[in-house]
Amino acid sequence: MPREAEPSLNEKQFVIQALQENLRLDGRELDQYRPLELSFGDQYGLADVKLGKTRVLAKATAEVTVPYTDRPLDGIFTIATELGPMTSPAFEVNRPTETEVLLSRLLEKTVRRSGALDTESLCLVAGQKCWSVRVDVHVLSHDGNLIDASCLAVVAALRHFRKPDTSMEAGVLTVYTPAEREPVPLSWLHSPFCVTWSFFGEEGEIAVLDATWIEEQVRVGSCTVSLNKHGEICQIAKLGGTPVEAVALLQCVSVSLTKVKEFSDLLDRKLAEDLKRRDKGGFMAELRAENDR
Amino acid sequence: MTATTLPEAALGVLPRADGSARYSHAGYTVTASVNGPIEAQRRDEHAYEAHIDVIVRPAAGVGGTRERHLESILQSSLAQIILVKNFPRSLIQIVLQVEDSPENDYVNTKLVQASLNFAIMPALMQTAVLALLSAAVPMRATATATAVAIMHQDGAKQTVVDPHPRDIEKAQSVHVLAFTSHDELLLAESEGDFTVKEWDNVYETARGICCRSPPQAKEGMAMLLDDESTGGPDMRQFLRSTMGFKVAADLHWK
Repeated sequence: MPREAEPSLNEKQFVIQALQENLRLDGRELDQYRPLELSFGDQYGLADVKLGKTRVLAKATAEVTVPYTDRPLDGIFTIATELGPMTSPAFEVNRPTETEVLLSRLLEKTVRRSGALDTESLCLVAGQKCWSVRVDVHVLSHDGNLIDASCLAVVAALRHFRKPDTSMEAGVLTVYTPAEREPVPLSWLHSPFCVTWSFFGEEGEIAVLDATWIEEQVRVGSCTVSLNKHGEICQIAKLGGTPVEAVALLQCVSVSLTKVKEFSDLLDRKLAEDLKRRDKGGFMAELRAENDR
Repeated sequence: MTATTLPEAALGVLPRADGSARYSHAGYTVTASVNGPIEAQRRDEHAYEAHIDVIVRPAAGVGGTRERHLESILQSSLAQIILVKNFPRSLIQIVLQVEDSPENDYVNTKLVQASLNFAIMPALMQTAVLALLSAAVPMRATATATAVAIMHQDGAKQTVVDPHPRDIEKAQSVHVLAFTSHDELLLAESEGDFTVKEWDNVYETARGICCRSPPQAKEGMAMLLDDESTGGPDMRQFLRSTMGFKVAADLHWK
């Protein structure tokens, strides 16, 4: 497969010099995101995120399986990321690149390890049956800042997702089909979002949010902060690159919080809109099988 | 989500691919990207023709044998209409990403191992053709495809166009047919029990959907009546009008 062409020396210098003069190629502020679009599919658990020209699709699914023997009380929750040839012909099928490995690890750390999804609630019969929730992340087009877009897509897909309702009677587990009972949402504890900073300049003194593909290729370092709208930090990843001053990093984290609040508001609003769209005739409240918390 | 919805398509949806299309019809939504002709890997290189690489990716789960089967069917039919001899030693890569497919509400599906439905074929085929047109890959003809099921209802056999998964479960046989723009049969795949007579019936129905001749200049009233009498969407007209809108939008500056 052909390798992706690197930006030329002229292009690189143009981008860097512009950034030193506080200018970006697309005319944004340094701490401004590209227009963010979020939409849901006809089925539950399908989220489509467009961040400028970056487009990520996330699909959540669930099925009943046997839990891991070392964790009999926990359900299974996996995130599968793939950067296929649709993203760019340079990516091959079934051969993960470094970008893909880093992306899936970051998503795993942000969503799974922060306990956003209560895996204990996925257990049906201890040691025998549990739900296996899987999120597939498909990157349709890559124009920088994959991490933030994918994280938003994963969280949106999981919050939009409904799993089939179940009941236990005399040791017999029944899984109801969507026609029998309205599916129920996952037990969701908090919504973490990623905010990625890119650093430019000799000492990484210029911090930029939501870098595009070309900016990502000329940056000297990057740092991903994952936090929820309450300001609880789930993880901070700064993998190599030029060292950055601690004070600058603190500044970045506080700006990240305002961005995360915006994401959170957007997601809440879109979910409410989608619920309204599905609730034809206002029967949803009666159809619901779950109890209010 | 009803089967009667008209097909919808958008071209050039992915900015970095050579050509792309998003197509949705009968509950199926598929996005395709086409890159090509590009450099082929040594093992895929053919000395006299281009290698067509079709990749089908299910929305959930990893692709398995069914996806490989769909890929091989699509690959051999698309290689018939693309002018492969024009690009020796190169590769035309078609990636089809399934976004949405209708679900049968009456059964719980196992999804970690993806199992694509047979009836998704027309959507895949149509998206691939649209994306190839968008990438300006030279082709001998365009193609249109449709799925037809034969159902046993009230003691009589009935043909259902664009069957829903629930229909497919109860259907006696499911057929997928594709025709080129020269009215030639490009693809005929069938599943289930059927007689030759039934297949001929299916062929006529599919042909009516895929190869309807453009409406002649008739009186307005007669045309309206005519539209109502024919069943199913007019795929060829749809393909033509989609491309027409795209070209008109692209040449707007002129």
